[in-house]
Amino acid sequence: MSNEQSSIAFPSTEELSGPLLRVKDLRTTFSTPRGSLTAVDGVSFELGRGETLGIVGESGSGKTVLARSVMGLLPRSNTTQTGSILFEETEIVGAQEATLREIWGAKIAMVFQDPMTSLNPVVRIQRQITESLRLHTSMDRAEAKATAISLLSQVGIPSPAERVRAYPFQLSGGMRQRVTIAIALACSPRLLLADEPTTGLDVTVQAQILDLLSSLQSARQMAVILVTHDLGVVATRTDRIAVMYAGHIVEMASTKRLFASMAMPYTQALLRSTPRISQPSHTRLIAIDGRPPDLINPPSGCAFAPRCTYATDQCRSERPPLRTAAEDPTHLFACWNPLQTGNAGSITTAKGEN
Amino acid sequence: MSSTTDAVSSSATESSVGVSGAPKKRKRKALGTIFWISICWIGVVFLLAIVASWIGLDDPNNGDFSLINSSPSWAHPFGTDDLGRDILSRVIYGARVSLIVGFGAMGIGMSIGGTLGMIAAYRRGAVDTLVSAASYVMLAFPALVAVIAIVAFWGHDIWKITIIVGVASTPLVYRVIRAATLSYATREFVTAAKAQGATDTRILSRELLPNVLPTVISYFLIGVATVIILEGALAFLGLSVPAPTASWGNMINESRTYLSDNPWLALFPSMAMFLFLIALNLVGDALRQSFDAQESKL
Repeated sequence: MSNEQSSIAFPSTEELSGPLLRVKDLRTTFSTPRGSLTAVDGVSFELGRGETLGIVGESGSGKTVLARSVMGLLPRSNTTQTGSILFEETEIVGAQEATLREIWGAKIAMVFQDPMTSLNPVVRIQRQITESLRLHTSMDRAEAKATAISLLSQVGIPSPAERVRAYPFQLSGGMRQRVTIAIALACSPRLLLADEPTTGLDVTVQAQILDLLSSLQSARQMAVILVTHDLGVVATRTDRIAVMYAGHIVEMASTKRLFASMAMPYTQALLRSTPRISQPSHTRLIAIDGRPPDLINPPSGCAFAPRCTYATDQCRSERPPLRTAAEDPTHLFACWNPLQTGNAGSITTAKGEN
Repeated sequence: MSSTTDAVSSSATESSVGVSGAPKKRKRKALGTIFWISICWIGVVFLLAIVASWIGLDDPNNGDFSLINSSPSWAHPFGTDDLGRDILSRVIYGARVSLIVGFGAMGIGMSIGGTLGMIAAYRRGAVDTLVSAASYVMLAFPALVAVIAIVAFWGHDIWKITIIVGVASTPLVYRVIRAATLSYATREFVTAAKAQGATDTRILSRELLPNVLPTVISYFLIGVATVIILEGALAFLGLSVPAPTASWGNMINESRTYLSDNPWLALFPSMAMFLFLIALNLVGDALRQSFDAQESKL
């Protein structure tokens, strides 16, 4: 990472004030043959400049749709969106595609889940990186190529000058994901959305890619939204974590606070279902029983109630609002029977309850 | 809690990631001798058609009336026809018509049908529904009858025939290219390109076209073969280029009457057409297979 200073000017963060991204009561609904499906339901959060937000949840919890909503990348034909996504001064909900195109790649960029499919198989890496440089900056061909090589070396690809001539199939999975990161970073975006950037990769490569992302982020003062189903992934690499379930944010707190005193049984269940090194071998992995609710006909009460060991009648009939924890105003959670502070990480209480 | 994070934060060394295959070593599946023979033959036909006027051939349209319906000889290697015209010369000049109609019509078909097919597959929605419906309507109409009717009314010089056959081929090309594009249009690299701020035109030309190109090329060659046959069929009905201009189809048509007296008259243009078409099909097929093999490697 020697030639960090490429020819791109990094945005100076001092002169800009206020949060980078302000999402307010966002609701994303798809019309499906079975009825309308609300994949993101009343989500609000803010993201500061250079901040890292982890969005955690199991499959179908709406985290990917949330990320794509923020980007404005969802198909227009069957999607309705209400609420507001304010990126700097630009409203993304309902924006014209021409407006979004100026932001895409230049100010917001995305790293996709599977580098096998997110790179064009028949186009050389060089052109895939320089594409957005040529689009958003006034660089000529040679400058763009030099920048592409410098980006490849920044993401840790050996002999980048030769590698730019390669096709994606000539690279390994980890290398390809590095290339997609280089593509996303090409124009020095202020916000990077990483949608499960390591799910398709080997465990050893996962850590490398995540470390690479955090080092690039701090070097570039770039805000990151890291979407994942793995609490372990976000634990050390985020400033804040939002836990999503059935399209709602059910808990949001600073990473430290969340792990120290999680209030939501769902967060606890997610953490428990992560395998740990400290456990003896052949320990049965604790899974969350049941399945996420049907989002076309969501349950009336708390969406997690049917699977929750602490659920009461109130949970099943009334939806808990998002409220702040008494000790920490930045800690939000939606639960009628929050966990006692301190027992969050313990595993022993799990089985006996129900 | 701490152990959870330990499991993932143990950072591995950067250099431990292997990089496979240097970009230089690219092994392509051998295309085979038959492919190269076919390519050479197509090249020879092209070359002869281009230089026909300068290689001292006999006039294809004015014959030697003292020597009609003659068998092959040194002076006339392919013999002469009922008007004493040199058949070799006519076969070579006739290649011009077949090549212009074949490649020209497919060029028109590809540019209209192919472009529409890619747009429809990428945009989907109303555009797709509308253009697809139009293509079905065109396909439902017997193409040869339509072409005959239009040629009969509009006239049949070589350019008009090229345009008519080209337009008639659009719905078929449209279907094929649309289907080929469809399988790529939903891939994530298209979304990724969009997320980089690429415009629709750019996505179509820079992201999708390189992927569809193998299909375009192989289908183009096979389409050219089909169009040349169609030109032959039109000629056989007397609706291709007007006499005395030679075309392979015209020559076969004219030879009908003399089939028992002078079979050479039918043999040489038929052979020319047959060999050229088989070469086109073999090349198209070999290319398609080679592209398929590379695709599966990706």
